[in-house]
Amino acid sequence: MDGVRLQISGLHCGYMTPDRGLVPAVEGVDLALNRNEFVSIIGPSGCGKSTLFNIIAGLLKPTSGEVALDGKEIVGRPGHVAYMMQRDLLLPWRTILDNVVLGPELAGKPMEPVRNRALALLRRFGLEGYENSYPTALSGGMRQRAALLRTIMCERSVVLLDEPFGALDALTRATMHEWLLGIQREFQQTMILITHDPDEAVYLSDRVYVATPRPMSFAGIVPITLPYDRGRDVTMTPEFADHKRQVLALLRGDKGATDALH
Amino acid sequence: MNAQKTNHASFLSRLGDAALPLGIVVALLAIWEAAVHLLQIQPFVLPAPTEIFKELMISGPTVILPQLHVTMAETMAGYLAAIVVAAVLSVLILYSSAFRRGVLPLVVASQTIPIITMAPVLVIWFGYNSLPRIIITAIVAFFPLTIAAVTGLKSLEPHFIDFFRSLNATPAQIFFKLRLPVALPSIFGGLKVAATLAVIGATISEWVGASQGIGYLIAQDTALLNTTRVFASLTVLGIAGMALFGLVGLIERLSMPWIYARPTMAWLRAQRSPQSPAAAVARPRQ
Ligand SMILES: Nc1ncnc2c1ncn2[C@@H]1O[C@H](COP(=O)(O)OP(=O)(O)O)[C@@H](O)[C@H]1O
Ligand SMILES: [Mg+2]
Repeated sequence: MDGVRLQISGLHCGYMTPDRGLVPAVEGVDLALNRNEFVSIIGPSGCGKSTLFNIIAGLLKPTSGEVALDGKEIVGRPGHVAYMMQRDLLLPWRTILDNVVLGPELAGKPMEPVRNRALALLRRFGLEGYENSYPTALSGGMRQRAALLRTIMCERSVVLLDEPFGALDALTRATMHEWLLGIQREFQQTMILITHDPDEAVYLSDRVYVATPRPMSFAGIVPITLPYDRGRDVTMTPEFADHKRQVLALLRGDKGATDALH
Repeated sequence: MNAQKTNHASFLSRLGDAALPLGIVVALLAIWEAAVHLLQIQPFVLPAPTEIFKELMISGPTVILPQLHVTMAETMAGYLAAIVVAAVLSVLILYSSAFRRGVLPLVVASQTIPIITMAPVLVIWFGYNSLPRIIITAIVAFFPLTIAAVTGLKSLEPHFIDFFRSLNATPAQIFFKLRLPVALPSIFGGLKVAATLAVIGATISEWVGASQGIGYLIAQDTALLNTTRVFASLTVLGIAGMALFGLVGLIERLSMPWIYARPTMAWLRAQRSPQSPAAAVARPRQ
């Protein structure tokens, strides 16, 4: 936990709409992320979570506020963080191998070592033997893992994951949680995850940011004190239930729960 | 085993697919043949298929094929010119709003003129050679191709552009690695339509101000009431047109393996030992 990786302060952003004028989507968001941390942002759909990610990724300019990565201002400058968007967005005309090396390829990196590294990682991502398949041949879970491998292959210091498991069935999702946690620990990734699933948020995170409905700000932050090495069993413990209760209370806008945190 | 069986079945069903239109053609030819003989129709009105076939054997290699050669050369030249023009136009339409507003309406307007009426004028401008006919062929073929290309290049979901932008992609990368592959199915649709139009364009353009080509031959034979050879020429022309169409289709298949290689991939997957995604994930960590 040494050193702040990502520092977001006083972020405001709105959308111009033809019928209602400027509609605020993000209103006063602050967030600090340390090296190798895993934090989640949980909030109702439409509250502005993807908007926040688009700002961090440099795709969208906020009306005000700052985003600093390793002390460097990155507002409006794409390419500094790895971003896995809400849909997997695998390119149907590329094989899995060609899909996962897209980031370094666009950056003009020498491809031979990149491809070798990707081939080596395919196994860890449960995609062994599928390097020459097209995305249509993959199941939903495999597509998400391919998209995540592509994101990791970008080798950025911060990884943004926008509802990566939202479209998966409950069973696959549970398996993916354990697997993702393993990946995050093994590859020492600094990650922010967007979700609307309290179990997912609590199980995976070091901290959970609970967002208000639009315009988005944070109703509270729930520090997760579960052990660093956590198996699936941890979801059955009273501590887990406590954390989940806090998150749910904040989601409901229950003021009492917020006070209990301080 | 199972996969091989389905592969076999798909081959048989494809054979069946070909058998049906072939059967229909044979049946129609038989009816045609019978009608000509029963109703005693004059050959210059409607020749019997067997007569057309005989004519094909006699004048095919010596008279028709050399003329077809001329026409197909014009077709290919006009077709390739149309592809170049369509490529330039579609990129301009895509990236320049000034061009979209200023020039596109004029291009559309030009398409409402029956271009064949321009043939004599083009002969006056460019001389008594194949150039006017190549130009007409290109003008006939470029428009559907351009429309198909623009439609394809615009059919991209905005999420993909955001995704490429998040990787700091350059506009050239977005075009070549994103827009173009997305547009390929549409572009090949346009290329197929344009191929048939190019054959028609080249042939029709030879009706006016030409001294060779299969269109010229057909015009001459029509005037001489040599209807049998007209039909023989049309048969040859039809085969040539289908060959060009088939060639484009072949290139299409080779260019888009992610669409056309699917049965093979399903077969490959079936060959692999059953491996569920969950099993792959649950592998012990190193
Ligand atoms: N491009 C846009 N133009 C106008 N409004 C938008 C646009 N994108 C998102 N919004 C609106 O902003 C709000 C937040 O959207 P989003 O960040 O996608 O929410 P979330 O990811 O939390 O579900 C929503 O109400 C949405 O309708
Ligand atoms: Mg969203």
